[in-house]
Amino acid sequence: MKLFFIVFLNGLTLASLYFITACGFTLIFGLMRTVNMAHGVLLLLGAYIGYEVVEMTGFWVLGIIAGGLSCALVGAFLQAFILGRYQGDELRQTLITIAISIILADFLLWAWGGLTYQISLPEMLQGGIRLPLLNVGYSVVRLTLIGMAIVVGVLLWLLIAKTKLGIIIRAGVDDREMLQALGFEIKKIFIIVFAMGAALAGMAGVIFGSALSISPGTDIQFLLSSLVVVIVGGMGSVGGAALGALLIGLAEQYGLAYAPTYGVVFTFLIMVTVLAFRPQGILGRAEQ
Amino acid sequence: MMPDQLLKIDKLNVYHGSSHTLQDIDINISNRPKAILGRNGMGKTTLCSALMGLTKAASGSVFLDQTDISSYSPESRAKTGIGYVPQGRRIFRSLTVIEHLKLVEKKDSRWSIEKIFSIFPRLAERRKNMGDRLSGGEQQMLAISRALMLDPKIMIMDEPTEGLAPTIVDDVVELLHSLAEHEIGLLLVEQNISVALEVASDILIMLNGRIVDQVTAEELKSNTQMQQKYLGINFA
Amino acid sequence: MSRTLLLIVVILIILPAFISDFWLNQILTRSIILGIAALSLTFLTTYLGVVSFAQITLAGVAGYTIAYFSPNTTGLGIELPWLFAVALALLFSTLAGAFVGAIAKKSVGIYSIMITLAISMAFFYFTRQNYSIFNGWTGFSGITAPVAFGVSLEDSLVFYYATLLSATAAGYLVVKFTSSPLGLAVQGVKDAARRVRAIGIPTTPVIIAAYAFSGFIAGMSGVLNVWQQERISSFSVGLGPTIDLLIIAVIGGMRHPLGAFIGAITYVLIDTFVIDLFSRDRFNMIIGLVLLFIVMAAPQGILGSFLSAQKRIRKYDNNAIKRKIKNDCEI
Repeated sequence: MKLFFIVFLNGLTLASLYFITACGFTLIFGLMRTVNMAHGVLLLLGAYIGYEVVEMTGFWVLGIIAGGLSCALVGAFLQAFILGRYQGDELRQTLITIAISIILADFLLWAWGGLTYQISLPEMLQGGIRLPLLNVGYSVVRLTLIGMAIVVGVLLWLLIAKTKLGIIIRAGVDDREMLQALGFEIKKIFIIVFAMGAALAGMAGVIFGSALSISPGTDIQFLLSSLVVVIVGGMGSVGGAALGALLIGLAEQYGLAYAPTYGVVFTFLIMVTVLAFRPQGILGRAEQ
Repeated sequence: MMPDQLLKIDKLNVYHGSSHTLQDIDINISNRPKAILGRNGMGKTTLCSALMGLTKAASGSVFLDQTDISSYSPESRAKTGIGYVPQGRRIFRSLTVIEHLKLVEKKDSRWSIEKIFSIFPRLAERRKNMGDRLSGGEQQMLAISRALMLDPKIMIMDEPTEGLAPTIVDDVVELLHSLAEHEIGLLLVEQNISVALEVASDILIMLNGRIVDQVTAEELKSNTQMQQKYLGINFA
Repeated sequence: MSRTLLLIVVILIILPAFISDFWLNQILTRSIILGIAALSLTFLTTYLGVVSFAQITLAGVAGYTIAYFSPNTTGLGIELPWLFAVALALLFSTLAGAFVGAIAKKSVGIYSIMITLAISMAFFYFTRQNYSIFNGWTGFSGITAPVAFGVSLEDSLVFYYATLLSATAAGYLVVKFTSSPLGLAVQGVKDAARRVRAIGIPTTPVIIAAYAFSGFIAGMSGVLNVWQQERISSFSVGLGPTIDLLIIAVIGGMRHPLGAFIGAITYVLIDTFVIDLFSRDRFNMIIGLVLLFIVMAAPQGILGSFLSAQKRIRKYDNNAIKRKIKNDCEI
């Protein structure tokens, strides 16, 4: 029983990371229909930058901000100067993001090597606390992580539901052309949203690098998890990303704990089942 | 006063692949509302979309109030003063009525949300409803309001009465009449001949991508032969 | 084009007489094997309109089947006569193709990329975790090409001709398949799925058939690959080879079956020679830049660009001739 709950908490932490990462991915996809295959490598970039900043300044929060900000810049650059030129040609854009992810991943390997990095945590997040009822120790940073995912989710929901930018983004997801015909500079909006999506990836990278560790390969792990999460949850939907992340995070951890040889099969089965009954994902909307 | 030449279309050509969808279109619109009549597939919607910059023209130019907007993006055309009410209304399905209006709200516009709500009390009632929860008539009111809020010099409307109940059609017609009072030009694209005759003073007939005839509403009303020839209908 | 094709085949037949063993094994044979796999991808892209990331997986299914049913040094599997092993390998890769098709049947374009990538990575992680069939990380090694009809496929010249024969067969099959009624239905599904359904052809079996067929072609490359490499492991079905295959298809061009092979040889040449001009370690950066360049500057790939250039030149010639005739008449 104890194992069951510990695994549940582990699943939640993993889901939190998957959620923050997949949010950015699904935001970009929802508005621009671009499958950003460079999403994983942006996460890794953010993590490395965050590591350097934390090492330099000693402030963890500063590391998160730096990781997010630098990825936002790279993302804005990509959308403004490379991807934006091929708007409407989604396949070409996807191939471009693949090329960029290959190049950028190799650059990161060159700059930071194949080592494993761990970002140092502030003291208050180190160590563990004894959980009531279960009477087991659990790491504080992992619990914080769950909290952060909730905060990110709520903030994102507020942004999309309550602000002017959110209205613009939703309108763009529904009908980009009509939004243009109402006088909105769609190019600028795309750049802003791409930067936001990339920033979420970068921040997730720093958080992941603090709670666990980062090394080459982390990028692929998170690209894949983002893909599966949005396929399951529904492409372009933040709520879907939350649900998908929860399902996949829990399935992975329970799989690891109870059937280590076939862990990945659970994830796969969830995806196939969803695709069989709802090809657009659980909370996704069918293409018109 | 409105200028004599609000919208001038000069030798506009559009191709879809190898088919020549719009052929040498010349239209001048002054302060008198104009309507383009034609059956389905004659190029009416392509014309609207090309005027908005959403479909690329191969050649020709478009002037709005003496400004050459031929090379403008759709967003710049909207900002220069074209209000677009597209075919099928294209309401954003995940935005509420009030969000639609907030989206296009401008400080110095002659049209405020309150004013819109006073014209369309129905929209005020349904302010919290999502776009895809509105009836066809409500969607049309919203689409027109959305374009008006941008404070346009001219409205381009693509079949605004399509699929609406007759009583609602009357409401829309009444509103279109009032556009002139607000010094807003109108290019109305219609299949519904009675609506076109009632709203516009000049009628252009479109056939296979060309403007084949230009008549006054009075002329067309009395000329049943012409109605049958171009539109295949009898106006009773 | 068909005359050009014949010429290419003839050149490829006599070429071994003039080149070293290294060129034969490491450049030509390897390129053709990769080309067959890429062909299975360009087939799907061109005719069904989907970009599949699962082709390396399908090749891997065939490769693992051969490894499992052939003599190997891993101590796992059952030995079968080579013909049975090959038949099973192609059967399994075809079935696996059908399975992928059944999962991805409603997806086109970018959606198909996401779903097939997820499938292929699931297979990759599964081969890593499973020891009873796939032998985990390490996989199988010490697999040797069989003696077929009295000649040993281990001989590099024999193996080269076997590979060339397979590639020709694969190309022929693709051309035949696309002009068959089923193949035409596949193209119909790409162009207008709704209309194909409307004339009474259900789309699902057609899509599954296309994926299954691509699985068969990919399986051919998988069998040859495991014989050439003499081993197979989870790394053979990982993300690296999966993306490499996409790069090959993009470099060569997707419209014509030949593009897959042109892409493959270009990729192998870069991998073998160009890379030494820079640094072996930065291979990915170079290949990434090549991919970026091709996608941005020549989206139809090398073959596509060549063909459209040729078309332009011809058009230009025709115009020149027309002008000349006109001038002559006027005079």
